[in-house]
Amino acid sequence: MASVETEPPPAQPSGKARRRTGAFIGAFVLLQFLIPLSYLTREDAGDERFTWRSFTGSEAPSCETSATLERAEGQREAISIEKLIHRDWLDYVGRNRRSVVNAFLQKQCEAEGVLQVELVNHCDDERGIREYSLRCGGERAHETVRTAAR
Amino acid sequence: MKALERYWFGDVALARPYLVLRFVLALLAFDTWLNMMPQGAKYGVGAFNVAHFPWFDGFVPSSAFYLGVLAFTGVLALSQALYRPHRIAIVLIAAGYTLGWACSLLDSVPYHYLLSLYLVCFVFFPMLSARAAFSRSDQAPRGSVAAYVLFCITTAIVYFYVAAWSAAEGQPYWLPMICCVGYLIISMQDRVELPALRMAAPLLVAAPLAFHFLAPQEGWLPMYMIGIALIVFAPVDWIHKLGRALTRPARSLVEERAEGGGIDERASQVFYLSLVGLVVAPMISMFVDLPGVKTGCTLTAIAMLFVMGRQLYFTPRLRPLWRVASLFGGCFALWITMTASNARFDYYREGALDADRRGDHDAAMMFREKADRYAP
Repeated sequence: MASVETEPPPAQPSGKARRRTGAFIGAFVLLQFLIPLSYLTREDAGDERFTWRSFTGSEAPSCETSATLERAEGQREAISIEKLIHRDWLDYVGRNRRSVVNAFLQKQCEAEGVLQVELVNHCDDERGIREYSLRCGGERAHETVRTAAR
Repeated sequence: MKALERYWFGDVALARPYLVLRFVLALLAFDTWLNMMPQGAKYGVGAFNVAHFPWFDGFVPSSAFYLGVLAFTGVLALSQALYRPHRIAIVLIAAGYTLGWACSLLDSVPYHYLLSLYLVCFVFFPMLSARAAFSRSDQAPRGSVAAYVLFCITTAIVYFYVAAWSAAEGQPYWLPMICCVGYLIISMQDRVELPALRMAAPLLVAAPLAFHFLAPQEGWLPMYMIGIALIVFAPVDWIHKLGRALTRPARSLVEERAEGGGIDERASQVFYLSLVGLVVAPMISMFVDLPGVKTGCTLTAIAMLFVMGRQLYFTPRLRPLWRVASLFGGCFALWITMTASNARFDYYREGALDADRRGDHDAAMMFREKADRYAP
């Protein structure tokens, strides 16, 4: 009689179970190989998620950010970004993270009577000056890059 | 058997998947409470959010949602580490943990994605009891565990990419590449026909240890990876002895002897006691005083009820009570961790600083009052 202290090990999988397991393993491993490679096709070089390029967060310094919105009456207003969103989001915006910049501009367009929103990141390094403008109702912000003046 | 099949379905010492699963679940619980929860005050600020994946766009997680998900995940993970894990619970932990980081770019810690991959592997691990993994004899039980091999391959792929990107940038890449090769071959070390690999294993472990001691890394990644490396690379005799020592209480107390089958007269007592336990355990979270945590712990109790299912009434043994005890253990651990650490203070202090900066004085005052209460 078997001891109660022992239980049988997991049974050897049958041929069918092996084929199913093999298919899952193949798909899972393939996915893990392909996801980091997607970095090569990303338009945003600062987006290193799921790539294993680094085990630390982004260390790129944040640029100085300013934003304005244009109302239907033609009036332009400066936006105080730091009062609207958390500092971490401001860091993302300052690092030109496109998805966050787009979402921020879209969010400003939700206010009544806003025609256009513009955001400028002034960086002292090779990133230069980046201007983003979104015509409210549009899908994606237009980006202009200029070399830093200094 | 073909070579590839032998690689995936060959024997491994069952002690390894048993210990890896529990080690990662236990560490994950404390990681979520101590490192992720203090960041919770960032969530929902200004009703602005960008998720990791487009299908989450439009959803703005609040602080309470984020903390609730983390409390749920952590308590369930620790309860599964304390008592025999259940596959449904592992699925829920994987879903909860992934939801926790994926719902916002505010959590962009690289290794959280790795832990989600590990949790997917764990779903397919055998849910071993201490008795199954550590027999009374000195002979370590072995069995085919393809998911454990997949776990090692997942780790190898991470090191492969670390090496590849380093090589592309002209930096030294040999150390992560040795880690990659080590994880590719080490899952075969428990097979009797490969004694040479067993001899090399203690040397191969030096690579991941050196890498994680030397390279800059965020959060608790080095703790996870060093612990995993020690379990995966250590000689089977060591692992078996360590596991036997750690599980002695479980094997002597929890795993009571199987005496026949069928329902005995204890079943109804066990049923009512378990139900009472499931109601009482989440009440411990009332003392934690963080938004969403009560809901998270209540959901954990509901998940536990779901996990136990028919077992709750139809088991003739005390297994449901041990499950409820593990839930109590998880809730107590959360409470003690929050009381003994600065996590709660950090949450309220960060909230106060951010609210001050945004000029939201009412919120700042509320956060500051709580921060003062929990200041170390």
